[in-house]
Amino acid sequence: MEASQSPTVDRQIRNPESNANSIASVGPLWPTVDGPLGLSEADAVTYARRFYKFGFALLPWLWAVNCFYFWPVLRHRRSFPQIRRYVLGSAIGLTAFTILLCSWALTFAIGGESLFGTSWNQLVMYNLADKWGLTGWD
Amino acid sequence: MAQRQRPRCSLLDSLGEEIVRIVTPVSICMLLVVILVSVLNSSSSSSTSVTTIATIAYSETDSDSSWDKFVGALLNSLVFVAVVTVVTFVLVLLFYLRCTKFLKFYMGFSAFIVLGFMGGQVSLFLIQDYSIPIDCITFFLALFNFAVVGVLAVFMSKMAIFVTQGYLVVIGMLVAYWFTMLPEWTTWVMLVAMALYDLAAVLLPVGPLRLLVELAISRDEDIPALVYEARPVTDHDSGVSSGNQRRVWRERSGSAALNEPENSTDEPNPNPGRVSVSNVETELSAPLIEHRMNMDSQETRGEDDAPGENLALEGIGLGSTGAIKLGLGDFIFYSVLVGRAAMYDFMTVYACYLAIIAGLGVTLVLLAFYRRALPALPVSILLGVLFYVLTRFVLEIFIVQLSSNLLMF
Repeated sequence: MEASQSPTVDRQIRNPESNANSIASVGPLWPTVDGPLGLSEADAVTYARRFYKFGFALLPWLWAVNCFYFWPVLRHRRSFPQIRRYVLGSAIGLTAFTILLCSWALTFAIGGESLFGTSWNQLVMYNLADKWGLTGWD
Repeated sequence: MAQRQRPRCSLLDSLGEEIVRIVTPVSICMLLVVILVSVLNSSSSSSTSVTTIATIAYSETDSDSSWDKFVGALLNSLVFVAVVTVVTFVLVLLFYLRCTKFLKFYMGFSAFIVLGFMGGQVSLFLIQDYSIPIDCITFFLALFNFAVVGVLAVFMSKMAIFVTQGYLVVIGMLVAYWFTMLPEWTTWVMLVAMALYDLAAVLLPVGPLRLLVELAISRDEDIPALVYEARPVTDHDSGVSSGNQRRVWRERSGSAALNEPENSTDEPNPNPGRVSVSNVETELSAPLIEHRMNMDSQETRGEDDAPGENLALEGIGLGSTGAIKLGLGDFIFYSVLVGRAAMYDFMTVYACYLAIIAGLGVTLVLLAFYRRALPALPVSILLGVLFYVLTRFVLEIFIVQLSSNLLMF
């Protein structure tokens, strides 16, 4: 146990980001929410960038996963500037997309036929499922 | 010698924590399947029989006698187990020929099919039953998001652990729900047949899963399969090294990181945990764990012509960091058992749940004792079936009589 320890072991013995705030101005050690089990900082930049760019293919959920995965980066303002750009972009994109989607979905659900007329019945999912026979197992 | 200020984690704490971390997702999967079964089946009579590989030999009708049903179910199960064996051997062959990319791609494709199509169907059932006024644009967008992120979670080895675990549980739930749509006798006989197959495939020297695991160990590679890996318990007091020390089963000279790409076909491929090795710790090499792999072939829906091949990996073992790994096939078959029990009554659900968790505990104890990949199905399934039969035919009458006469319960 007293044998020489590699630096990574040393880092892991120190508690990850949950106790890092007690150490003044150190910030989180690990950019991901998994702590020592997650990505290293170099890999994290690649992943954050990739998630951010893929999210533009109408994938707000991927942006949400990005924000969740790099939550320590969002929480501590001064840490990991490279990663923070992408994660912040993901968060903004997620909020914008969610507001748009929710407003459309709520308008559709609450407005109903009185707002849309007959096209409501053509757009609602359970009618379309019946029409296309999506739920028939045969 | 460094002194501990306070015993932070005793052996019991860490052992209990690890068991909890594997029992929790199993329980969540079972709970979700029970909820789905009770919500969706109560509203419609499930007389629609699914034509799949599992019912190719005999499709059950209500008018047959019990003996006919039993023989028909036996034929179905034999066909199913045969297909699974063939597919597992194909997997071993492909792995032997190092077609890892193909296997990985197949896994991702299967995950997409399961999450997209089966997830879509289940949500459509829910939407139709409860007349949720969702429009097609939102629905397809949400489904697309869900499926694509699921494929990424299954595909990439370095996604958030929580997201990966969540998606594996969801895949297990969807496949298990699909299996509960098989006729009753076929389901029960198939469960027992799969338990016996599991036992043979992992423990016999000629079993395909054992071959696969040995092949993976000899090459220091990952088996591409779907495996649920619990988060490793870190002992904060002494660092990661002491945590690994307990887990060393075999010392390896080189460090090879085994990733497990998930491999799924139309049906989710459960992947028994692979043995993963060494990590950053230089002084300890990671333990090796072997998992069995089971290939389940499942049929697809009639409208979908593509043959469904599932790589189902079943089995239990230890990962590189010492975390317990459980194949997704185990999740699926446990949930199928509990889902089928839910189709009868909730009393059988409780009995079967306890039986399965007890079986899982026994398997974990055996895992710690034998230190090699073990089949996780036999003990739990056989206990579960036994408890179902006892509860349905013996216990229920007893309890109902007592309750209706206001004696007890």
